[in-house]
Amino acid sequence: MTSTAFGVTLRSPARLRMALLACCIVACAATVPVAPARAAEATVKIGMPIGLSGANSVVAPSVVQAGKLAVAEINAHGGILGHQVELSVADDGSGADGAVKAFNTLIFQQKVNAIITMETSAARNAGLPVVARGKVPFIYTSFYEGHSCAPDLFVNAWVPDQQVAPVVDYFMKQKNAKTFFLIGSDYAFGRGMLGFTRDYIKSHGGTVVGEEYLPMDATDWTPVLSKLRAAHADALITSTAGGAPNVTLTKQLRGAGINLLYGNLAVDEGTAKAMGAEATGIYISQSYLTSLDNPKNKAFIADLKSMFGNDTKTPNDLSEPEYDGIYLYKAAVEKAGSLDTAKVVATLPTVSFNGPRGTIEMSKEHHARLTMYLGQVQPDGGVKLIATFKDVDPGNQCPKLK
Amino acid sequence: MPDQLLDVLTTAAILYIVAVGLLIVLGVLKIINFAHGGFLTLGGYASLIVSQLHWNPWLAEPVALVAGTVLGAAVERIIVRPLYSRPLDAILATWGLSIVVVQVITIAFGRGVQFVRSPIEGAIPLLGTSYSLYRLVLLGAAVVLALAIGAVMHGTRLGLVARAVIMNEGLARGLGINSELVRFVTFSVGSGLASLAGALITPLLSVDPLMGVPWLLNAFMLVLVSGTSLISLAVAAFVLGGAQVLISSYGNPVLGGLTIVVLAALILRVRPLGFARG
Amino acid sequence: MVAILGVMALAAVAAGPYLLDTYSVNILVRSFLYGCIAIALDILWGFAGVLSFGQSAFFAIGAYGCGLAFVHLGLSWETAIAGLLGGAVLAAIVAAFVGWLAFGHGVSELYVSVVTLVLTVVVVQILYSGGDFTGSSSGLSGFDTFDIEIETWFWITGAALVLSAALGWILVRSDVGRLLVAIRDNEQRCSYFGISGSGIKILVLVFSAVVTSLAGYGYAAYTDVVAPDLGGFQFGTELVIWVALGGRGTLIGPAVAAVVIDFISAYLSGSLPFIWQLFIGLLFILVIVLMPQGLGGAIASLCRRLWPWPMDSPGVARLAAVRADRIAREHAAPAIELRGVARRYGSLRVLEDISFVARQGELVSLVGPNGAGKTTLIRCISDGHERSAGQVAIQGHDIGRLPPERCARLGIGRKFQTPNVFDSLSVAESLRIARARLEPPSPWRRADEIHLPEAALRVVRATGLDRSLTTTVRHLSHGTKQALELAMVLAMEPRLLLLDEPTAGLTKPERTLIGAILVDLVANHDLCILIIEHDFEFVREISSRIIVLHQGRLVLDGNVEDVVSSELVRTIYVGEQHALRETGA
Repeated sequence: MTSTAFGVTLRSPARLRMALLACCIVACAATVPVAPARAAEATVKIGMPIGLSGANSVVAPSVVQAGKLAVAEINAHGGILGHQVELSVADDGSGADGAVKAFNTLIFQQKVNAIITMETSAARNAGLPVVARGKVPFIYTSFYEGHSCAPDLFVNAWVPDQQVAPVVDYFMKQKNAKTFFLIGSDYAFGRGMLGFTRDYIKSHGGTVVGEEYLPMDATDWTPVLSKLRAAHADALITSTAGGAPNVTLTKQLRGAGINLLYGNLAVDEGTAKAMGAEATGIYISQSYLTSLDNPKNKAFIADLKSMFGNDTKTPNDLSEPEYDGIYLYKAAVEKAGSLDTAKVVATLPTVSFNGPRGTIEMSKEHHARLTMYLGQVQPDGGVKLIATFKDVDPGNQCPKLK
Repeated sequence: MPDQLLDVLTTAAILYIVAVGLLIVLGVLKIINFAHGGFLTLGGYASLIVSQLHWNPWLAEPVALVAGTVLGAAVERIIVRPLYSRPLDAILATWGLSIVVVQVITIAFGRGVQFVRSPIEGAIPLLGTSYSLYRLVLLGAAVVLALAIGAVMHGTRLGLVARAVIMNEGLARGLGINSELVRFVTFSVGSGLASLAGALITPLLSVDPLMGVPWLLNAFMLVLVSGTSLISLAVAAFVLGGAQVLISSYGNPVLGGLTIVVLAALILRVRPLGFARG
Repeated sequence: MVAILGVMALAAVAAGPYLLDTYSVNILVRSFLYGCIAIALDILWGFAGVLSFGQSAFFAIGAYGCGLAFVHLGLSWETAIAGLLGGAVLAAIVAAFVGWLAFGHGVSELYVSVVTLVLTVVVVQILYSGGDFTGSSSGLSGFDTFDIEIETWFWITGAALVLSAALGWILVRSDVGRLLVAIRDNEQRCSYFGISGSGIKILVLVFSAVVTSLAGYGYAAYTDVVAPDLGGFQFGTELVIWVALGGRGTLIGPAVAAVVIDFISAYLSGSLPFIWQLFIGLLFILVIVLMPQGLGGAIASLCRRLWPWPMDSPGVARLAAVRADRIAREHAAPAIELRGVARRYGSLRVLEDISFVARQGELVSLVGPNGAGKTTLIRCISDGHERSAGQVAIQGHDIGRLPPERCARLGIGRKFQTPNVFDSLSVAESLRIARARLEPPSPWRRADEIHLPEAALRVVRATGLDRSLTTTVRHLSHGTKQALELAMVLAMEPRLLLLDEPTAGLTKPERTLIGAILVDLVANHDLCILIIEHDFEFVREISSRIIVLHQGRLVLDGNVEDVVSSELVRTIYVGEQHALRETGA
């Protein structure tokens, strides 16, 4: 028996369509969970919305590894307040839209006790309203452009006030650079970082001869590179989203034969290593380097290797603060004696953790004083340390918060 | 200036390589293959596999071509053939296929962005400036591809038969030409070319499951504007690709990305045949 | 019926927050908004036949309207309304522009899909290039927004969905809804009834754009985040997929599909996101290839088979005669005047130098062998774009380059050679469409009485169409379709009737009847009729004048006797040799 729809006569018998229909209904019904997941009583859940896809997908695996290491170590020593800790990872697509979904899933469906993660600024800004509605502490472990303030938000990574000066000063004083070209990803981070950089350069007597932005997901830098070539600057400073844009920009830069002084404000050691020979010569300013010579760092690197074996991703300035962040949360909860958000948020500014980066305390308006290192990427992928700056102040990021 | 000229030529070449498979499918089958982006992504991942197995990077292209052709053959039989009389539905179904391809790739490879080393690195001095060697190679590849397809179309029996089907399928069938076979072969080859394009462009950019989408839109618009002529496609790629480069360089790079689709849409409105003669 | 279901649905919405957990409520607020968009898209695509991938662009416009207003102007009642109206007005303007681009004369139907796709790219790129104003890649977030509880949002959006569904249902069941279907199925036919398909499609596009932008506004106000991805190609195609899966043209199917799929996706986004997307993709392909009417359509036809639901059958329509004799009698200008009309395709001349005049009250038969150009001549008279040279004036108005719908409004009714009707409508609905220009259809009711002029009534009654008013046209025989088309054309109350082989496929008695009707129309109602016919007996009986075409030229124009006995005509029809043999040469 045939039937016609939209003027098309279907040869498949009605029975086939019935069966197909039935399958669909059954499949739909089977996938809808009958009751939402309730957090198991005895575990502390830490939510990690992170860019498993999109721009940050290059660095996300290293951050997840650092998180898993911290959780494993804490669990081996009795957990937090006697409860075992569980890590819940969700993909935020490295962007605003995905972040809304990821944060909603973690906070409202999985009912996590805290969000401790590294994200792009787009994702972070989109997640903040959900955090406010859900009332959980949010420890942001990524470097960023600064001035993001909320009562539940804490940052243990650097802001421009700590990071830009070493690079620019070095270029201007040691390398006599006078003209600068700036390239960034067009979002809060890119514009914020380069805005700060531009002001810093101008106030120290330099000139900015070009400033170009492309959207976060852009992969073709050809027009920007043409402008760079035409501007004949002494130095290039870039601030793209961490991960993919760094790689595509550098590849195309080198592919075009451009070799000027290059300071990258947003690349981490892991990505630099993955870029191989093309990354040689890039100047970076970070709060963490794998070559840091202290027992905690050596233990950290060794433990990562023994936990993940051949799959170990290079720890870097985006992943190590995740490790610190989870320990800081543990300290705050233990000091407060409870998982209650209000109490934890009250104690977070007062606790500290001694880790691979030294002693970290988010005591200056929810941000942390950090020791910064200026380095240059070597042909073998390692980073040569050029200068160290101890306990750099983050400045007044959130004057309204104590 | 020489920079811009080389940029225009190489951009046009890349657009041509990406769009040519879509064009021959449109010409012979009269449908737009929205899975073109999916096949492109497939080619990119073929390139990734070759790189991960540490084979000679130039093997990526033949691997991609074969993979795309085989998958294209299967797709033509199962999805495209039943939809021959419903072209708008063919767009939808091939878009669904694209989603399936992307999800399968994501399940197999993860959704992160990955990279492939370029088979040729570095720049060479040309016209007073140093220019990326790989981009110049792509320019050469586009020319070779155009000549090869042109030779097949105008010099072989298959090409003749294909051109007959393009012009008037009913009449061709009446003359005994097996148009089903021609469509089958064309779709397979078109998909293979899409994958080949994916493998060729990957070293320049990156590989991720969604890499095909922006290329699909640009290729789609170029093909609509070119009609069924390979020469028109070259002209369109040059004119529209050139416009994109110039607007990106002298204006706003973000809006530059819009140039091809907007110009093509306007051209089609004014002259529904686009650049094709007739 | 609608009211009962509506109230039940509202009750379900009211109970929702008490039965579901917070996460589900949270997700459903968003899903309900998507359901509203799906309904708007189904009206646009399933009913009016416009495949738009760009609804996401309008969604983003509405959302950014909210975001921009609250970020740059602060939160207050004035700014809230400004954002709402701003978004809606901008969406309407953009939709009108896109419609103008896409629905012009001679533009292929693929073009609208292309241009709506391009729209999404354009909107996203504009948002990306907006720097600090639009937040670029970051978008805008954390702005002050309405301080409403999640539950209240649930009730608001749930009620909005129920309301959209109810209003949409009323619209598609009304005469306007049938008109949309007619335009979707056969826009050309509608234009010959004087109905501007493009104008109506633009209106529907604008309407759906405004509804979508309102949903976008709600989304932004609720989630407190707007990002460029909202307007992108991915979301736009996802909407099309939901409507296709739910069943285009069923209204409720797409709404349910949108809500269910979005809800399930949210739950699975943590655990099996890829398998789920893969499943949706495969299902989509299967549905398009095997079940184009979608799951909703399949369920609907299943239900229809099991319980013949009264909701579905249109109220039995009654026919009534048009009350006043609207046809005026005075004119100075002739009905048709052709001067030097030619139609060429490159070097092929189908018509050359055709000139003649016909007045009201004449029944002119157009005869000539096959390929003489008769149908082409009819086309040149009824469509201003068709001819290559010459002038055509109808009732003294030069048709210039007017499209068919404008020519039809000058009083032309054209019947095509092969029956050109609306396959998926019923007989009564088809007649209603033919009357649409004279009696504008209602967007909320279906008229239960159809007014037809006397001539149309006679055709309908004599050919038995009045006993099959609810039959779908697709199921009629060829001859009955011919009669229906004739009735529809007569229903337009034309001043000039162009008939292309109206009696082909009719029985002898039917032919006699039609002949009588045509003669009556000319004698008593002062019509001018131009009829192409091959049946010479028929032509002789009814015509007042015969025009003979041969190889694109007008060779004879005179009264019946002169033409019938003409040597030339015999030669043309029968061939040179035969004619000579007959005259004994």
